[in-house]
Amino acid sequence: MALHLPKYKKKTLEHSLAKYMRPNYVYIPLINAGDTNITVLVQKGDYVNKGSIVGRRKGTFKIPILSSVSGIVVGFEEHICYNGEKVKCVKIENDFKDSELNVKKSKKITDFSKKEFLEIIKEKGIIGMGGAGFPTYAKYDTKRKINTLIVNAVECEPYITADQILGLNFTEEILEAIDAILTINEIEECYIAVKKNNSELINAFNNHIGTYLRVKLFLVDDMYPMGWERMLVKKIIKEDYDRLPIELGVVINNISTIYAIYSALKYNRALTERTVTFAGEMLKAPQNIVVKVGTPVKEIIESIEGYKRAKDITFIAGGPMMGTSLPSDDLIITPNLNCVLVIKSPVNELALPCIRCGKCVQVCPAKLSPVIIKDNLNNIETLKKLNTDKCIECGSCSYICPSRLNIRECVKLAKEKIKEVR
Amino acid sequence: MKEIHIKEGPFLKTENKTNNIMNNLLIALIPIILYSFYKNGIVPYINGKSTIYQMLLPLIMIFVSVFVTFFTEYLYGILIKKEPKNIGYHLKTKYSIFPGLFLALILPINTPIWILIVGALISSLIGKIVFGGLGYNIFNPALIGRLFIITIFAVTITNNGGYLNSYEVDAISKSTPLSNYATIETIGTYDALVKPYGTLWNFFFGSIPGALGETSAFLCILGFLYLVYKKAIKWRIPITYIGTVFVMTYIIGSLNDATLWYPTFQILSGGLFFGAIFMATDPVTSPTTPIAQVIYGIFLGILTVVFRYLTNAPEGVLTSILIMNMFVIMIDRLGAYARFGYKKIAILVLVQIMLILGLSLYIAETKENKVNVDPNFNIISKETKNDATTYIVTEKGYSSLIKAEVIIKDSKIEKINILEQNDSFYSKVEESNYVDKFKNKSEVEDIDTVSGATITSTAIKKLARNVLNDYMG
Repeated sequence: MALHLPKYKKKTLEHSLAKYMRPNYVYIPLINAGDTNITVLVQKGDYVNKGSIVGRRKGTFKIPILSSVSGIVVGFEEHICYNGEKVKCVKIENDFKDSELNVKKSKKITDFSKKEFLEIIKEKGIIGMGGAGFPTYAKYDTKRKINTLIVNAVECEPYITADQILGLNFTEEILEAIDAILTINEIEECYIAVKKNNSELINAFNNHIGTYLRVKLFLVDDMYPMGWERMLVKKIIKEDYDRLPIELGVVINNISTIYAIYSALKYNRALTERTVTFAGEMLKAPQNIVVKVGTPVKEIIESIEGYKRAKDITFIAGGPMMGTSLPSDDLIITPNLNCVLVIKSPVNELALPCIRCGKCVQVCPAKLSPVIIKDNLNNIETLKKLNTDKCIECGSCSYICPSRLNIRECVKLAKEKIKEVR
Repeated sequence: MKEIHIKEGPFLKTENKTNNIMNNLLIALIPIILYSFYKNGIVPYINGKSTIYQMLLPLIMIFVSVFVTFFTEYLYGILIKKEPKNIGYHLKTKYSIFPGLFLALILPINTPIWILIVGALISSLIGKIVFGGLGYNIFNPALIGRLFIITIFAVTITNNGGYLNSYEVDAISKSTPLSNYATIETIGTYDALVKPYGTLWNFFFGSIPGALGETSAFLCILGFLYLVYKKAIKWRIPITYIGTVFVMTYIIGSLNDATLWYPTFQILSGGLFFGAIFMATDPVTSPTTPIAQVIYGIFLGILTVVFRYLTNAPEGVLTSILIMNMFVIMIDRLGAYARFGYKKIAILVLVQIMLILGLSLYIAETKENKVNVDPNFNIISKETKNDATTYIVTEKGYSSLIKAEVIIKDSKIEKINILEQNDSFYSKVEESNYVDKFKNKSEVEDIDTVSGATITSTAIKKLARNVLNDYMG
């Protein structure tokens, strides 16, 4: 079960956390958790503040889309987002004033009612920053009793260090936010999940955790995909859930999300910036940078000396396992984008026939049998019985395949086939 | 302008490629090939039993077989499928040397070369190519070739010398342990099964007659450990396979008063280690899911025991694997479902456990006995006149051999006459009219022995019991 992967994390950790906060224009993507069904609430020519609402998602989760600068809306453009698709963006010309509405001077951050808490994290656009971008308020807005908060600082994908560097730089703030969340939601305990061998982060937390009696570190093995919600909950709570962790009274948040909650509670600040790892051997100076949502990645890369070479680049939104290869570097920062990976284009290797070694079965964290799904691509009934839709597309099967077959694509195809039938 | 190429993720790939797996398999087999050369080539040669050609024969057989399977697929590739002519490409993408290599290793040393060539051709053509080549075959190709050879040419091979190399013909002059075992109706004794070949250590290290490469359990285990270390083998299959044979033969043996030597003899015979470690784990023709691998291994074990005890084909390992090959897809799918719920698979496992116990008990019952055969008892003559049968027998006494005449009538002992003896305390036996106590008995268990001459009187009792057993059949 699960994989040991090489880490490739050293390079970006050598740099201290940099900032790129002054783009001339930002392009706020009208997308949340893959959903582009969003009501636009501004027009060309409107003046917006930093943190102003420019759009709101339709449907169940009415999460706002927020401006990350103050300035004038100059129009709408389509740009590529983390999922490789072109998304309509609100183009705002930065007036560099960063004027914000209702910035509070710190109230004690534990002094919120649960209702206020939910309102704040919803209206400040707090979403899951680990990748999925699921609205965070929805996790806390439950009638069930929340027993446990799990803070996910595992960051199991190679290259990515954004969470780690955030944790190292803002350890106290994160613990403070956790304490507030526990108090406000009457949660008894919190586990911060960190990789066993990440001694830096472990030490950082151990130096500050003493006064927070409800908060404990939970050390996990250096395995992939240990940061996957389901796997982490199983490790910590020792139980499986059916659809959502709340069934076990668990809420699980990424550590970056916790920091965003801190800013929202402490300073009434919207989620308009985040730490992104810029990594890969084709970058001259790989490092972590705090950037505004809506900043073109191209611009940020130029600001860190650009590419090593102009040839043979593969440009990936996300990490090396789950990221999406993009046709150009015209990528816009969204709150859930944690990594931009620029590598030398991998050589296409000759794929051999499957020799049925069974390694994909062994490593699948969702307990699927990819090779058998591959055999039954035309047999929808069997595909269903094989729980094909439980695939999380982590790529472990493709990584381990000795015949260099991209089994994940087979399983994805099978998932689509099942969807079509429904 | 930047050149950005779209590639399919994930962008990290393991270093452990199919090529590495196959190379590791080859490395694991090298000691076995070398030992085969040593045992079947060098030993007969240095003992002056063979020519230089015969010394090289094991290597020649392996080479010819590998050559045939490789070039069959090579020619098929370049002529029919119009693939590149580069030999390296075919070596690295078809792995077509393996059917040939395995085929040679599971054949008797005295297989004529032309039969080997035919078998290798069949391995490639029927075993692999008709299914669509690497990855698509249902049956283990080498086993297909062997099945063909054994079915059609068994007599030719036997007439040509069978399994014994020229050194073994003189040194052992028995057949393979399992052919020898097949001549015994019962579960057999240590003297009959193991002694002709030395001790069980000979079985373990491989200096017993058998197919070219399958005699040394030790080298197979070495290869197994290497492959486990390199993550290049489905380790559950050999463990459960050999484990099942061991458990079943342990039950069968212990119900017949045989100790651990018996299951040990069974697992070390008939190329079980070679078959379980190298043939049953052939990736293409074995299950991929862990649970299915366990079930597969257990069924292989059960089948092998059934073949050994209940059919005339004593060997069983390779046949079992071929049979189980047919069910791999089915078991594997069950194994995949079982990852989400154990109900269905639990029934199957239960059936397996019942089979293991039921078959073991049945075999122990039907093959009962003569493990208990008294090694000190000998029948010199046996004569039936009218309705009386007269036995002349010997039995070891206290300090001498007791020779006696026993007359049986109507399934009862009519009379025992001690013909010869030189036991120190025999007088006590004589004084107590001990032999008269056996008169008209068909059952001797309740007869008390003579105190002061316990061993001698017990020997006479044994002698009587053995005669009765023989008379009853």
